[in-house]
Order: sequence, then C-alpha cells, then structure tokens
Amino acid sequence: MRASRRKRTRRLAGLSAVPRLRMTSMMDILTVLLLFLLKSFVVDGESLTPPPGLQLPQSTSDSVPEESIHLAVEDRGVLLGEELVATTDQVLREPGYVIAPLAARLRKLQAQSGRIAQMQGRERRRTATIQGDKDLQFALLQKVMYTLSVNGYADISLAVIRKS
Amino acid sequence: MKRSRRKTYRKLVETELETLPLMGLFVVLIPMLLLSAVFLHITVIPVPLPDDDSARVEEADAFSVSVRILDDRFQVEAKGSPARVITRDHAALETLSRELLEVVTAHPENRAVTIISEPTTRYEDIVAVMDVTREAGLPQVALAGEGS
Repeated sequence: MRASRRKRTRRLAGLSAVPRLRMTSMMDILTVLLLFLLKSFVVDGESLTPPPGLQLPQSTSDSVPEESIHLAVEDRGVLLGEELVATTDQVLREPGYVIAPLAARLRKLQAQSGRIAQMQGRERRRTATIQGDKDLQFALLQKVMYTLSVNGYADISLAVIRKS
Repeated sequence: MKRSRRKTYRKLVETELETLPLMGLFVVLIPMLLLSAVFLHITVIPVPLPDDDSARVEEADAFSVSVRILDDRFQVEAKGSPARVITRDHAALETLSRELLEVVTAHPENRAVTIISEPTTRYEDIVAVMDVTREAGLPQVALAGEGS
C-alpha cells in the first residue's frame, strides 16, 4: 500500500522509477587521467626496463637512450637482454678481462646483425647500453666493458635514473 | 492545459548527452596508456671507448687530467701540477667540483677526463663522480681501473 503510494508520488513528481547513472563527474576524472597519461607517453627514444631487483644509480645526465643491445649487470651475473649469460662467480674467476660466454654471444649477435645489415645495404653502428646495479663493483663492470669493446661495441652507454 | 505545458518542459530538460561511446573509448585508451607509461625517466651516460688506433696515436705531451677514486679520498691528478687530495666526507663532491673547475679554467681546451677506480669501487660512486666532471665542463669521460 505504502509502496504503491510512493510510486505514485514519484510518477507525479516526474521521476522515473529507475534512476540513471550520472556520468559527468566520471567523465571529468577520465579526461584528466587521459591527458596526464598522454603527456607521459614516450614517443621518441627507446624505453629501457631494468630487470626486477636491479637498482640503477641516479644521475643528472639527460641523454636519451638510443637503439642498442641491452646488458644488465646485477647480483646474479651478466644478462644479455633477458638471458643470463654468465654468473658473477664465473666472471670474477676469469683470469683475463674478457668474459668468454659473453664474447661468444656477442659474436653470434654480430653475425646475425651483419646479415641483416647486408640485406638492408647499410652499416649499422654497434652500440650497447649497460644497466648496472648501483652496488656493482667496478671490477665486474670493467670486464663487461672490455668484452664489449674487443667485440666491436665501442659506443657504450650507462643507464641511470634521472634525478628529479 | 497547464499540465501539458509542464510535461513538454520536463522532456526538454531530461535529454542527456550520450556519453557511452566516449566511455568505451576511455576504457580502452586508459589501460593502454597506463601500460606504456614511463614513471621513472631512464637516461644514459655515453662512455665511448677509444679503439686501438686512436689509443696509439695519443700524444705523449698532451694535457691530461684524471680523478682517482680511493676508499677514503679522491685524488685529482692534472699533468704538470701536484696531485690534489680530497678526503671523502659529506662535502667531498662539492670540493671535487671546485678543484675540477680550477683545472678547467687553467686548460679550457681540454674536455676529457679519466676516472680511475679500484676493483671494489661502487658503481654509484663512479656515476656520482662522472656527474661532477660533466658539470665542471669535462664531458668526455674515460673509465680506467687501477693498474690498467
């Protein structure tokens, strides 16, 4: 009885029985969010994603990363892309400066990119980006850099987090 | 008569903008942009290595400056002047910056610096010294190890 009276009152007041969702405020939020995300969208340069657990050091450098091969040097060892090439123990035990497993992988990579360059008819610059953990010891970094240099990767960049 | 006029007015007010297609677009665009968004700006420090030929033709009498990173101190070694020792305390990087600025003022044509580290030197410390040398006007950094 009471319900039917309420319905009647509502109908008379011009309100529909099912209220419609008001979208305007949600649209405002989404528009702001969309603009913010569009602003932070990276169009130029290459975006680097360090492997989980690796903490890059902070620096004031503002050079943008270029297209290159990515190496990560962390607690576990040396990673080329996402593949673990040599463990830390293995690297530190090597008597010389060259890390043999890394050198072998680099030569293989070079042969592949050489074939691609031949097909494209242009010589590509060999560049490498090293993502090193901030607590990394110089001895390890030195060996990685030396191995890169003797295998033709003389343009080396060190990845860092830009200080805000 | 009065009632019908009121009804027409209500119809006009209740007409809403059709936002559902726009919502659909937002729902697709926002997750896509969130996935590709970069919240940490990763930049690089270029460290071009010299190839064998350029290393051989390096002039013996050319001016050179190096910063040695030791456990307890920094050592600025410029050719033709005695080594300057900076104790590694909280203001060490500022002092290093001042020392390097003096070297740059005396030899403005020189743009290169060698950072000599020990095998156990932390990468973070090397990057901090590289920042100081770059800001002091020595952007061409070469890394070297103790005894190499």
